[in-house]
Amino acid sequence: VTEEPEDRERTTAPEETVSPEEPVAAEAPEPAEEPVAPKPAPRAWVAEAPEDPIEIPRRRLAAQTRRDFLLFGAGLVASVAGAWWLLPDRTKARLVGRAAHDRLDTLAARVGLSRANRERALNGALTFDDDVAEALYSKNRRVRTYRRSDVTPLRNNYNGQTPGPEYLATWSLQVSGLASGTTERFRIDDLLRRFDLHEEVTRLVCVEGWSAVAWWGGIRFVDFLAAFPPAPDARWAAIRSAVNLDLAGRPDPYYVSIDLGTAQHPQTLLATHLGGRPLPVAHGAPLRLLAPVKLGLKNIKAMTEIVYTATEPPDYWNERGYSKYDGL
Amino acid sequence: MVPLLLGLIASGLSIYWAAPVFLHPRDAVTGSRDYLVDVGRAISNATRYTGDPRYWVYDHFGLGPRYLAGALRLHWALAYPFMLVGVLYVLGLALGGGWRALLPRRSDAGDALRMMRYYAGVIPMAVLRRPWPHPPMRFKYNALQRAAYFGMGVCGVLVVLSGWAMHKPVQLGWLERMFVNYDVARIVHFGCMLAFAGFIVPHVVLAIADGWDTVRSMVVGWSARVRKDAP
Repeated sequence: VTEEPEDRERTTAPEETVSPEEPVAAEAPEPAEEPVAPKPAPRAWVAEAPEDPIEIPRRRLAAQTRRDFLLFGAGLVASVAGAWWLLPDRTKARLVGRAAHDRLDTLAARVGLSRANRERALNGALTFDDDVAEALYSKNRRVRTYRRSDVTPLRNNYNGQTPGPEYLATWSLQVSGLASGTTERFRIDDLLRRFDLHEEVTRLVCVEGWSAVAWWGGIRFVDFLAAFPPAPDARWAAIRSAVNLDLAGRPDPYYVSIDLGTAQHPQTLLATHLGGRPLPVAHGAPLRLLAPVKLGLKNIKAMTEIVYTATEPPDYWNERGYSKYDGL
Repeated sequence: MVPLLLGLIASGLSIYWAAPVFLHPRDAVTGSRDYLVDVGRAISNATRYTGDPRYWVYDHFGLGPRYLAGALRLHWALAYPFMLVGVLYVLGLALGGGWRALLPRRSDAGDALRMMRYYAGVIPMAVLRRPWPHPPMRFKYNALQRAAYFGMGVCGVLVVLSGWAMHKPVQLGWLERMFVNYDVARIVHFGCMLAFAGFIVPHVVLAIADGWDTVRSMVVGWSARVRKDAP
């Protein structure tokens, strides 16, 4: 079949192909005859280029349309498959029903979209984000401080139940992994007598998204490190709290990993005071970590033990799917 | 872009709601302190919902309750491709000169009013079978389209910047201060999400309502309609 001259469609300028997702609003019907092009006037740099119509055989247009829609459809299918792969099982089961979910999951696993691969991919994203965070980190950067009048109410976000005050009578801080090779024990009075109290008003940011400005007081971790230096090969502090409880009230010790760089940050405190008064039980009496360069979940309450280690110690929330870096 | 955004919105809402946001004193009967749980119960009762009635809102506007760790991973996994696509979009606009069509111009205020009047009249005039001509087009986009597309670009920049301001408020302290403080950055981030959601749905509906040529132009990048005043 030979192409007749009238079997042609006129389209607008090819420059539109740079932004293929934008709809082209056009309203006028096709003119019978092309108007005579006026002499082009010099255009300002920011002025829109005119949309010159071009002529293309109808068959070629149809072929191109078919190709583009097939590609678009393939992209759509890939998006749906990707969404199926990445979404949590509970959400999917709720969307399509348990039986259909299991069938589709088997099908997806057969083409490599398995649960194990998903966990690998999502953990990879988390690690990548941590690497970006570490690249951004500078140890000289100070945390923004506020005035005391900026203080906002601070939530008690104790994981599980808040312990009763009974533990305070026997509380002590045990520190090991020291250069001296000894294990030291401190009562809160020992610490307050020996070290200067520093105060700061900083923002505590929770991984859940809320934040609070609070007025803290305590001894600088860096001063404590200078007085009781860790072993030379130590890079980490494993800080634990034996007093934490789970929701049912059973013991559920909490532990965080803190790199010594964070511990040496001048605004990192072994905090003893909140709002000018000794820490209440709800906020980790008598001693908690305040590391404002880290998310709230690293700011362990009622710490009872510090162990300096050469390798990275376990971290409570990292074992439950969160980042272990948690830097702000 | 759209699938990424949908994933970001769903995981973002799961993060936002990880700690209940709209609270009231604990109710003695239901034990609830959360308005969204109350709303969920009410809707579940009205619709005989078979899932957990407490979590109706969380299940329908997010990935479900108690999913913070997973939602965070998903949010980062989608946010980086989102930023990459955004950079590609800006590069395409810059290299192809398409940004010129998106720039607001002085005539936009009047043109926008004319377009609103036109849209308001389309359905009534179709019912009355009266002619209702489209205002003349002098540029590729009408003033309302231009405002929407330009606004989406601004939102895209704001959503990424406010996201980083919240994600690293210490290392990117200057960015956090640009948004005044952490809480304002959160509000901006949330507002941009609402703007995206408010754009996508009418955008697609209007394109489909406009006809095959417009839907095709969204996929293939050209239109077979040529306007009368084209040079």
